[in-house]
Amino acid sequence: MSLSILFVQILTGLAYGMLYFMIAAGLTIILGVMNVVNLAHGTFFLIGAYVAYTLVSKHLGFWLALILSVGVTAILGLVIERLLIHRVYGKELEQVLLTFGLTFMLSDAAKWIWGTDIQTIPVPRVLDFSISVGSVDFPAYRLFIVAVGGALAVILWLLENRTRIGAIIRAGVDDRAMVTALGINVGAVFTGVFAFGAALAGLGGVLGGPLIGVYTGLDGDILVTSLIVVTVGGLGSWKGPFVGALLIGLMDTLGKVWFPSFSMLVIFLLMVVILLIRPRGLFGREVAP
Amino acid sequence: MKFARSHFIFSKWKTVLAASALSLALTACGGTTSTGTQSPQGTSASSSDTLKVGMILSATGTFAPLTESIRNGFQLYLDQHNGMLGGRKVEIKFEDDQEDPQVALRKYRQLVSSDKVDILVGPISSAVAYALRDGVEKDKIVLIDPNAAANDLSWKQKSDYIYRVSFSNWQNGSSVAKYIAQNIGKSAVTIAPDYPAGREVIQAFKAAFEASGGKVVKELYPKLGTNDFATYLTTIAQTKPDVVYSFETGSDGIRFVKQYADFGLKGKIPLTGTLELGDNLILDPAGDAAEGIISGVLYTPWLENNVNQTFVTSYQKKYNKLPNIFAVDGYDAAQVIDLAITKAGSTRSDDLIKVLKGISFNSPRGPVTIDPKTNNPIENFYVAKNVKLDGKIVPQVSQTIPNVTMPETPSPAAQ
Repeated sequence: MSLSILFVQILTGLAYGMLYFMIAAGLTIILGVMNVVNLAHGTFFLIGAYVAYTLVSKHLGFWLALILSVGVTAILGLVIERLLIHRVYGKELEQVLLTFGLTFMLSDAAKWIWGTDIQTIPVPRVLDFSISVGSVDFPAYRLFIVAVGGALAVILWLLENRTRIGAIIRAGVDDRAMVTALGINVGAVFTGVFAFGAALAGLGGVLGGPLIGVYTGLDGDILVTSLIVVTVGGLGSWKGPFVGALLIGLMDTLGKVWFPSFSMLVIFLLMVVILLIRPRGLFGREVAP
Repeated sequence: MKFARSHFIFSKWKTVLAASALSLALTACGGTTSTGTQSPQGTSASSSDTLKVGMILSATGTFAPLTESIRNGFQLYLDQHNGMLGGRKVEIKFEDDQEDPQVALRKYRQLVSSDKVDILVGPISSAVAYALRDGVEKDKIVLIDPNAAANDLSWKQKSDYIYRVSFSNWQNGSSVAKYIAQNIGKSAVTIAPDYPAGREVIQAFKAAFEASGGKVVKELYPKLGTNDFATYLTTIAQTKPDVVYSFETGSDGIRFVKQYADFGLKGKIPLTGTLELGDNLILDPAGDAAEGIISGVLYTPWLENNVNQTFVTSYQKKYNKLPNIFAVDGYDAAQVIDLAITKAGSTRSDDLIKVLKGISFNSPRGPVTIDPKTNNPIENFYVAKNVKLDGKIVPQVSQTIPNVTMPETPSPAAQ
């Protein structure tokens, strides 16, 4: 394999990794801060993508559609948290059942609204070109996804380490009771975190639309991958999903190059090995003995 | 405090793992379970003037768009014939098999034993077709297959009670092979999903292509549900064949066609493929990326024949979109039941199978005859090139490949 081909594969892996990062970041924050396993997270990805598809086909343009659909998923997240999720804090089984039930309802609603035909979102015009890398071309849009993912990592790092919200969230992961005792309105923080996580998933859906399409069942596909990312990366910080997602994205792509018949196995093997060595994932906090 | 904290994190972690396992398991089972039973006529069980049609299709998962189209086509035929087939009011019992042979068998049992349907339409998946086959044979109930394309349903697994109105993998793979060898190029790379249908299509293509002087230099089999074809596209770019032949369907097909253009192969190495690459299901979402692809299609909405013109007009009126090949297959499933009952003057299976062998009908795709040797249609395929007309990509037919059939037994090349 020539160097330029390897380079293209690595870029491809990075682009997918960044998409996984966008969704896994929300998942891990919601899980870390609120202790809620949000199995409906993949559905936010799907709905973000469908809303953007509709807006783009109404000729609103990709960028406006991007902003609006991220807004729509954030509002949807907000409503769902206020109406449903906040009733089941601390009840893990109920959370799993509730959020899983929500995926069924929301994805059937999506099927009802948008039908079962497979749709794609066109690549925005300014990014609709390819860059020549040796003997092959590489689509510029994928580089854009890599850039957005990188920027998001920086923003999350700043949020976590340089802002009051970040401090509250970090504190909330470690000791929720103490945060409440300090007079912080944990309820409002939770609602905000949930809506933010949903918005990130929506962002992933819109940006992923031109790459992987929008179709019935996409939510399940994406949820499974992002749960693997969270498992590999560990909870509690943006670093976990970031490194986990890049690792999974790269292993998936390079696995396909080197072991085409069992690329999926490569990912699961990676997950098993990491869980054996670091049972809380790469950046999960160690448990004191 | 320390203990409480670690316990808190630990229980959280257990939940993630449990949730992952749960969602993996449920995804593997096919996700949602929605079952609709449609009964326009609430008539009693075995009244002689009602025909109960049991449908087993896949309404959830990858095949959902196909199921929707087949049901639309079937319903349209009913609408055009006052809701009657063979002079009998039709009552449809619809079941979703979730692409799962085990679920399908359960639904089949329900349709045959408790609903007591007279005739069956389905399934989508070949694996389901194989699972249903022995039961159908034993219960002596006619099954009209509007999609499942496995070759062996016409060979070793052939049954007197199963008739396919769509097409087999053999036909889909071999239809344009000769045309490609003679007109486009002699060395080909093939790409198809790594599952039985993908391998059957490529085997048929390879046999016909190499019989016409071509050579398949590389066969690529990405897994079904591949998001990214970058790996395979770079392999193709390095191999530099005269032509690429592909069988990629559904969302895989759309992604493949788009990425073929994104990675700069469009315009450099001609892309050809099976009928899916010339069908609206892929062309509409793939857009400009699909321009220039040459495929062997069985149907386009622009075919010029009387049946098709009426079909397209009323389909568009009812569903507000153009029909695809799967809608035609659904329409023809209804049509063949209608004809068979009328011809046999009965709904008894043993009377129906006498007339179903060799039955001919005028489909929107052109004349079709069920080959009594294989219970599989003899039909025309068309060489189509995707061109841009009024800003929309459409398959333009340049040539008819008449009476495409499949051999009566597997040829040595296909084994």
